[in-house]
Amino acid sequence: MSKLKGIYTDIVKIRRMVFAEIARLALKDAECEEFDKIPYRIIDTEEATYRSSIFKERAIVAARVRMGLSMDYASNQEHKLLSEGIREFLAEEGQLKEPLVNVIRFACEKCPTNAHFVTNNCRKCLAHPCSIVCPVDAITIEENAAVIDQEKCINCGKCKAACPYEAIVNYERPCAAACGVNAIESDEHMRAKINHDKCVSCGQCIIACPFGAIADKSMIYQLLRSIKAGNDVRAIIAPSFVGQFGPLVSAEKIVAALKKLGLNEVREVSLGADFASLHEAELFAHDIPDKQPYLGTSCCPSWTYVADKHVPEVKENISESSSPMIFAAESVKADNQESEVVFIGPCVSKKLEALSPKVKDKVDYVITFEELAAIFVAAGIELTKVETEAEIEDASYYGRGYANAGGVAAAISQNLKEQYEIEPEISRADGLASCKKTLLLAKAGKLAGYLIEGMACEGGCVGGPGTLLATNRGAKYVSKFADQSPYKFAFENKNLAKDKN
Amino acid sequence: MIKVDICVGSHCSLVGALNLLDNVEALQLEYPDQIVVNKVECLDMCDDIKNAPLVKVDDELITAAQTQLVISKVMERIK
Repeated sequence: MSKLKGIYTDIVKIRRMVFAEIARLALKDAECEEFDKIPYRIIDTEEATYRSSIFKERAIVAARVRMGLSMDYASNQEHKLLSEGIREFLAEEGQLKEPLVNVIRFACEKCPTNAHFVTNNCRKCLAHPCSIVCPVDAITIEENAAVIDQEKCINCGKCKAACPYEAIVNYERPCAAACGVNAIESDEHMRAKINHDKCVSCGQCIIACPFGAIADKSMIYQLLRSIKAGNDVRAIIAPSFVGQFGPLVSAEKIVAALKKLGLNEVREVSLGADFASLHEAELFAHDIPDKQPYLGTSCCPSWTYVADKHVPEVKENISESSSPMIFAAESVKADNQESEVVFIGPCVSKKLEALSPKVKDKVDYVITFEELAAIFVAAGIELTKVETEAEIEDASYYGRGYANAGGVAAAISQNLKEQYEIEPEISRADGLASCKKTLLLAKAGKLAGYLIEGMACEGGCVGGPGTLLATNRGAKYVSKFADQSPYKFAFENKNLAKDKN
Repeated sequence: MIKVDICVGSHCSLVGALNLLDNVEALQLEYPDQIVVNKVECLDMCDDIKNAPLVKVDDELITAAQTQLVISKVMERIK
C-alpha cells in the first residue's frame, strides 16, 4: 500500500477543494466563465507555494478542473481558456469517456525510474559485501565509495540487503511502485506515462504520487446537474461507507444527508452483495469442479480487468455473476423504472464498470466518498447535525462484510456451507500485484477446486482510493456496522425475497 | 489534563480532521493520563472553509489546524 494512503497532505487538500468548487458551481448552475476563477480561488497566494511558479500551480489546478468535469487531459501546447473547453465539452456529449486515470504531464516531476544508488552513508568498508553479493559484477569500490554501474545493475536488491550501513537505496517511482501490473512507463521527456493497454484503473497511483500528478475523472458535475434538473436520482452506497464521513456521522446520518441533497432513495450496495454471494455460491455448487476448475469472484472490477488484460486464459473462470453494484442498481430500477442511479463508493474503477455495455443502462453515475464529502460541503450540509431517520437494515452481516479483504470469500463460503454443505478451499488475492500472481497460479492449474477472492486494493474496498479514512480505521467501522445487521446470512435477508417479486 | 477538542463536522473532515484525529489519538495513547481527546460537532466557525479544520487545545482555538501544530501545542503542555 502506498505510504501516502490515509495521510492528509496538501495534494489531498487541493484535490478536494477542486471537487468542492466544481460542486459549488454545478449547484448554482454557473456560467462556464466561473470555472476560470477556480485556479485563482484555490491558489490564492501572491507567490508560489508548491512548484517553481504560481502560474504552473494554477495551470495544474485547471487541469484538475478539466478532469473533475470528466473531460480528457489536454496538452498545454494550444492556447485555450478553461471555460472555452468546458463550453465545448458540455455542448457535445458531456460524459466521461476512457481513459479514466491520467497523468497531468506537466505536474510530473520525472522521478528516476527503479534504480539502486549508493548514498553517502557508504563507509567504503573493507568487507564491502555489496560488491561480493552482486550477481552481475556491477559494483566497484572507487576512491570515496562503492559505485553501482547502472548499465549492468539488474535491480535485484542483494547489495542493499547486504550493506551494514544501509547505504544503498532503491529509488522507485512511487506511482510505478504502487502499480501491481506495471502499467506505468515513461514518455519521451521521462515523465510518467500510463500504458492504457495494461492499466486496470484501480487508482492506487493517484494516491501514491507525492506530486499529485495523476488524477482520475469525476462525474460530480453531471450528477448534480441531474439532481438540480429535478430527475428522480437514487443512490446505492457501497459497504465501506460507514465512518468515512467522520466518527460522529452514523450510517443513518449519511443516508439522511443524501436525501437532503436531493436523492430520492438510498440503498445499501450490501443488499446487492447478498444477491451476489447467493448467486456465486449457487454457481460454485453447480459448476465446480465438473464444468470449470475454480471460481473467481466478480465484485472488484480492477480484478476482472487484470484477468482481461493480463491473464486472459483465466477469464472464463472469473464469475459471470453481476457485481453487487449491478444487483443493487437493478433492484432500484426494478422498482423505479424512470429513475437514475448513482453508485457511491470507495472505488475508481467502478467508474469504468459503469461505462461498460452491460452496465451503462443500470448505473448512471459513479462518485467516490471523497467526492461526496466535497459535495456535502459545497451544498452546505453539515453531517454532524442532520436529523436521522429510521435505521437502515438492507443487508446481512456477511453482505456488509464485502468491503473488507476476505469478506467476499467469507460470505460465499458461508452460503456454500449452510446451503450446499460444501466447504471450499479459499485463495485470497489482496492488492493488485497479488491479483496478477494469483491469476497466474490459477492459470498454471495450482488452484483447482478453489474459491478465489480478488481485491485490487490492499485491505479490500476500505483501502480504495476514493476513501477518506485510513484503511484499518475504515475496516473497523465496516465490521461494527456488519454486527448491527438483523440478518446473519444472505439467505436470511428478508429484503431479497421482497426484491425478487 | 490537556483537553483536545477536534471538530469532525463536514468541512473539517473534508480538509484533514480525520487524519489529525488519528495522530492526536496516537499521541493520547502515549500519554493516557495527561491527554483527553474529544470529537466535537461543527463549531459553526467554518463559513470560510479556510478556517477548517478547527481544533481547541484547552481554551486555545486553532484554525486551519495542521497535525504538526496541534501536536506541538499539546506537547508544550505535557508535564
